Amino acid sequence: MGQCLRYQMHWEDLEEYQALTFLTRNEILCIHDTFLKLCPPGKYYKEATLTMDQVSSLPALRVNPFRDRICRVFSHKGVFSFEDVLGMASVFSEQACPSLKIEYAFRIYDFNENGFIDEEDLQRIILRLLNSDDMSEDLLMDLTNHVLSESDLDNDNMLSFSEFEHAMAKSPDFMNSFRIHFWGC
Amino acid sequence: MSESSASALQLGRPSRQPAVHPENLSLDASCFSSPPVNFLQELPSYRSIARRRTTVHSRDKQSGTLLKSTDSYSSQLEDRIAENLSSQSLRNYALNISEKRRLRDIQETQMKYLSEWDQWKRYSSKSWKRFLEKAREMTTHLELWREDIRSIEGKFGTGIQSYFSFLRFLVLLNLVIFLIIFMLVLLPILLTKYKITNSSFVLIPFKDTDIQCTVYPVSSSGLIYFYSYIIDLLSGTGFLEETSLFYGHYTIDGVKFQNFTYDLPLAYLISTIAYLALSLLWIVKRSVEGFKINLIRSEEHFQSYCNKIFAGWDFCITNRSMADLKHSSLRYELRADLEEERIRQKIAERTSEETIRIYSLRLFLNCIVLAVLGACFYAIYVATVFSQEHMKKEIDKMVFGENLLILYLPSIVITLANFITPMIFAKIIRYEDYSPGFEIRLTILRCVDVMRLATICVLGVHAVSKITSGLSVSLTLFWFQCWETQVGQEMYKLMIFDFIIILAVTLFVDFPRKLLVTYCSSWKLIQCWGQQEFAIPDNVLGIVYGQTICWIGAFFSPLLPAIATLKFIIIFYVKEWSLLYTCRPSPRPFRASNSNFFFLLVLLIGLCLAIIPLTISISRIPSSKACGPFTNFNTTWEVIPKTVSTFPSSLQSFIHGVTSEAFAVPFFMIICLIMFYFIALAGAHKRVVIQLREQLSLESRDKRYLIQKLTEAQRDTRN
Repeated sequence: MGQCLRYQMHWEDLEEYQALTFLTRNEILCIHDTFLKLCPPGKYYKEATLTMDQVSSLPALRVNPFRDRICRVFSHKGVFSFEDVLGMASVFSEQACPSLKIEYAFRIYDFNENGFIDEEDLQRIILRLLNSDDMSEDLLMDLTNHVLSESDLDNDNMLSFSEFEHAMAKSPDFMNSFRIHFWGC
Repeated sequence: MSESSASALQLGRPSRQPAVHPENLSLDASCFSSPPVNFLQELPSYRSIARRRTTVHSRDKQSGTLLKSTDSYSSQLEDRIAENLSSQSLRNYALNISEKRRLRDIQETQMKYLSEWDQWKRYSSKSWKRFLEKAREMTTHLELWREDIRSIEGKFGTGIQSYFSFLRFLVLLNLVIFLIIFMLVLLPILLTKYKITNSSFVLIPFKDTDIQCTVYPVSSSGLIYFYSYIIDLLSGTGFLEETSLFYGHYTIDGVKFQNFTYDLPLAYLISTIAYLALSLLWIVKRSVEGFKINLIRSEEHFQSYCNKIFAGWDFCITNRSMADLKHSSLRYELRADLEEERIRQKIAERTSEETIRIYSLRLFLNCIVLAVLGACFYAIYVATVFSQEHMKKEIDKMVFGENLLILYLPSIVITLANFITPMIFAKIIRYEDYSPGFEIRLTILRCVDVMRLATICVLGVHAVSKITSGLSVSLTLFWFQCWETQVGQEMYKLMIFDFIIILAVTLFVDFPRKLLVTYCSSWKLIQCWGQQEFAIPDNVLGIVYGQTICWIGAFFSPLLPAIATLKFIIIFYVKEWSLLYTCRPSPRPFRASNSNFFFLLVLLIGLCLAIIPLTISISRIPSSKACGPFTNFNTTWEVIPKTVSTFPSSLQSFIHGVTSEAFAVPFFMIICLIMFYFIALAGAHKRVVIQLREQLSLESRDKRYLIQKLTEAQRDTRN
């Protein structure tokens, strides 16, 4: 009936989530709160699911240009269970290790999901980042070429996962910018 | 498959020049099209990397969780995987939670096969890790201003947030410096004051100095007007002069405890050295990450396109207007980078006569810059002299306002100079025709290094010259009596004035400007002017200036770090308020990574420039005879040789040996040899990396060629 109670989560579950994710205790409880506010009333939180639209409209993701990709990568069969949301928050938390972030960043940026970031993916990334209507072809091609010349080590016009990993390990901003605070408390 | 290869060709091969490939010219262009992606996904290299990333082998048939098929090298893999399972934490796997749960169950069943010792090792390492996590969670609660900085990050991005993190770091640094000084110097004095311990006071040697030098007259009491208290508070004279704020108060020579005598002069000197060393170590530690990255990418531009495109978006932004600003700043930044690339190419194509013209113009303009700086330094020097000469006039002989003005004349001149010179430099640099990135860096360099920090050196030089010159007998006497307190007072005045200026600018300039823009926005002029931008470089320079004053002044005025802590705390809230309500964020982007390294570099330069006057005053300038803990010594540094001479003789000879030339020169030569070795090693590694990269691209071309041939062969057999 109505909204589920806050302390519905058992202590063992909380411990398990703390052991399996990078989130702290408070963060898990806050996400639990947010999840319960959004999920349909009356359901046990472990069985409830959220749609991709609901997750896209969370304040943390609302203005993110890659929110549709984030939702696609972290959801299962088009819906988010509570554990999916936790997994997403864990990857984007401050304490997450770089290899995990690089892995999911690769999946997010791979728009056509062929296991490589090719020119088409790069152009789509740039368009999303710049968010402007008057983008000249030359500018796009220039930028794409620069990115590929810097990180494409084997000259095949695509970034494989190793090349992406190598580029992100050298990038000074990556760890700072690939962070989302999912809770408002 | 042929369609995808055709479409790959149609995507338009850009004119990317690969590094050095002479074979390029001989083979046919069709060999270099991108092979179909599904072919690449079948390659063993792709598969093994994919396996490493996401899934885990399992040979535990009893639990029935066979996640993916194993290789033919199963036995070797199993051992390696068992090791990997035990060493890597579960969280690092890119799996969702239910799969991690399964993995954990597998791990627990596998534990049964391990020996007792291994089990105990894994258990203890797990509990240790859990303990560390709990401790880390506790410490994050203690973090100062965590929520404020998080909300700033969400609203304004990581560039501005890095400024506030830097401010927080300075607050902590000053607090720790104050704690050091408190423990070493203030605590024994407090113990003495409350009669907990006995102590001996400093003996003034009557024999070999003039009686006049040993008497230090403090300003007389009598009829004191109310405003004199305010003047005293603002300039550190009068009632503040005798307090523990300044060096002159510390006259205790040794504090007697039960077993030993605590040597206060030694402790005073050690506290100075300790806080300088601590600041240096802490700054270097914090800047190591940025520096390491800078070292790795030695051949590339610091801001690379990969970094800007893949890590360009701050995922933590939650504000719609900030997101729009971020989009526009990214547009600006990427366009500026491409523009800079074009300018750099243009510069490379300059003819020789153009180069000569540009260089001679630059030389001329640099001379102008030096002339401007020289004029400013001279003006500051004259102002300081004038102010010192008039400082000792009777208070009631002068008008209040005039008195204050003369007292603060050096600070006013310094602030004016700091205000005018950036504008002049900005005009000059436009004619020098540098690339935009270099232009920004050179402007900041000129403003920071030469202007703000060298003014402090000018003050120091002035102080030295006062003592060694014979300007006038009474003045020399006055300085000789207690010059450290004078310098301390100057530093105190600079710090207070800096603080007042920051508050005044925020309250009386930015706030009315914002009110004007909000309510009188119909006027064109106001609209063009706009709100104040939150300019990060200026703000950073301001607080580095304050911190440098604190470092220099802490020797002469031990309570100055505490004042600096309070000042920075208040500045944090004032700046936060100003950011939220009166300023708009600058459309020019400022990246967090670049910022952190830049802030710490500027701070390090400030520290080095602060150490110079301190070392000169500690080791060269004779300490004053009428006040302070060092009246028995010729210079402040003399405490150390005197202490060393009280050590046992073996330790003494050891210390003498270590500090002699016979040790220093071979030591220096060995260090040089080690450095040469590492430079050679780095050069060799770099060459190997270049060779491997070339080899990698050759291998990839072979791979594509073979795949092409395979595709054609398959097509032929099918037809």
